[in-house]
Amino acid sequence: MATPTKGRAAQVEAAPAEATRTPTEPRKEKATAEARPSGPFLLDFYPLEDERSTQLSRFYESLKTGRLTTTRCAKDGLLWPPRLVCPRCHGGELEWVDLPNAGHLYAFSAVLVGAPSGMEGDVPYVVGFVDVEGTPLRLFGRIVGTPWNECRIGQPVEVETFSIPDGRWFYRFRTSGR
Amino acid sequence: MTSLRKVAIVGGATTPFGLRPLTWAELAQEAGGALFHAVPALDAKDVDSLFVGAAEPERFAFQSHVAPLAAEQMGLTPRRILQRTELACASGQSAIRSAYAAIAAGLSDVAVAVGVEKMNLPSMAEANTSMACVMDRPWDGVHGATAPPFFAMVAQRHMLEFGTTEEQLAAVSEKNHRFANTNPTAQFHSKKFDREKLLRLPLVAPPLRLGDCSSMTDGAAAVVLVAEERVRQYTRTPAWIRGTGQHSSFHNLANAGSLTEWPGLRAAAGEALRSAGIGLAELDFAELHDCFSISEIVEYEALGLCPKGEGGKFAADGRSDLGGDLVVNPRGGLLGCGHPLGATGIAQAVEVFQQFAGTVPAARQVPSPSWALVHNLSGSANVHSVMVYQGAS
Repeated sequence: MATPTKGRAAQVEAAPAEATRTPTEPRKEKATAEARPSGPFLLDFYPLEDERSTQLSRFYESLKTGRLTTTRCAKDGLLWPPRLVCPRCHGGELEWVDLPNAGHLYAFSAVLVGAPSGMEGDVPYVVGFVDVEGTPLRLFGRIVGTPWNECRIGQPVEVETFSIPDGRWFYRFRTSGR
Repeated sequence: MTSLRKVAIVGGATTPFGLRPLTWAELAQEAGGALFHAVPALDAKDVDSLFVGAAEPERFAFQSHVAPLAAEQMGLTPRRILQRTELACASGQSAIRSAYAAIAAGLSDVAVAVGVEKMNLPSMAEANTSMACVMDRPWDGVHGATAPPFFAMVAQRHMLEFGTTEEQLAAVSEKNHRFANTNPTAQFHSKKFDREKLLRLPLVAPPLRLGDCSSMTDGAAAVVLVAEERVRQYTRTPAWIRGTGQHSSFHNLANAGSLTEWPGLRAAAGEALRSAGIGLAELDFAELHDCFSISEIVEYEALGLCPKGEGGKFAADGRSDLGGDLVVNPRGGLLGCGHPLGATGIAQAVEVFQQFAGTVPAARQVPSPSWALVHNLSGSANVHSVMVYQGAS
């Protein structure tokens, strides 16, 4: 793992998607909105993020600048994951908003055995629920920065975004204190 | 409801569960052989419909279009309804539910519901990848979410909020493994686990240990369902389907709400019991989805067998054991039998049929049972499926 900066975009040296990059495919050094890895895709956990693949490409675009965003319905409030249609009023007038960077652990556990393909090298890794400060959202995600047996409920965490080698971006949470 | 036909399970069989040297197709074939052996009056040409519970054959066996594959393996040529049902861990119950609906509606007279899952692969990382895809893959699975860490967090919160202990978790596992020792088809039929031994097993996803988790299991099971007027042709001890209920609350983990409250189970069980016209007090035993020890504890509470937060004590005090308030998982549960996703719900129904028929070993026979409830959760306990059965008496 690289040493990312809290709440800012960071690079990661190795990621599961590496295994799905065919040997003849040149590594893309720079993330672009058109980042679109070659197949096979069906054992790749990371979503296809570009505009040809999803209507949520803006979510992934925002990750490049360290921002975790989602959609908000004027009537029903924050929605997660980001949506095209509000599941409550079924309206389509949703706006993108930045989420606060800070939160705290509501619950956590660790995968000590039984990791999926591409994640075996991460074991032991921590996953948890994060209550996002000032919002009703309780997001699930990978927790980095503290060994599982030193994590505690209520521990502060911050959003961290990172790129995987083929240029796609994702997010996780980094512990920011004891 | 009065216009629906009555439907009963008139027989069934379970293959041995475990790490099996059989392919998906061979498991289906084995289930077919076991079914025709267990129900001698069953004639293949009378089976007009086949419902195949299979959660992830594409992932585990690289095989789609499994309904005709299972039909061929079992020697069946369905002419009315042939379909696969998929609801992850509840795929088997979905097959039964669909067969029930078809017969009740008059679209089928004799249907087979079979559940098949092949989960053990040379690469367990690939099998775990498949399990992570049960979650919302690009949002939750991508972080490395599989079932054990999710249910571990349920346990962590339950311990924090209600003081539930590791010993209480072990009490659930000890009971179900003890019942599994009476069941030759159980994955852990021959392995003894007392509470002390369970508490020494390695952690899988803290606070859950190996003995708190059901296994990756190969197995298959099948039942025959028929319309009321056909019942006597097959058995004198039918298991009548009296009630069903189901509830889907969320899928993305961010929408789970409280981890320790499973209102979807309360809703599904309420609907199933209401449609059966009975209350909890009428039940003689229950097959609950103990994919993890903590699951069974939360299920006691959601069903209303004990007050919220007291599920751990309910297990430790033996109230879900033979001689207690309500016997839970006499078959051996998912903890003791293993959990071949598509087969589990069918194997539970086989247990119900055999309990009503009085043909299970005495060590787990519930005395003269009349009513049974079967529950499956799926995924991250986001969906709950419940059926209520009545014996012949």
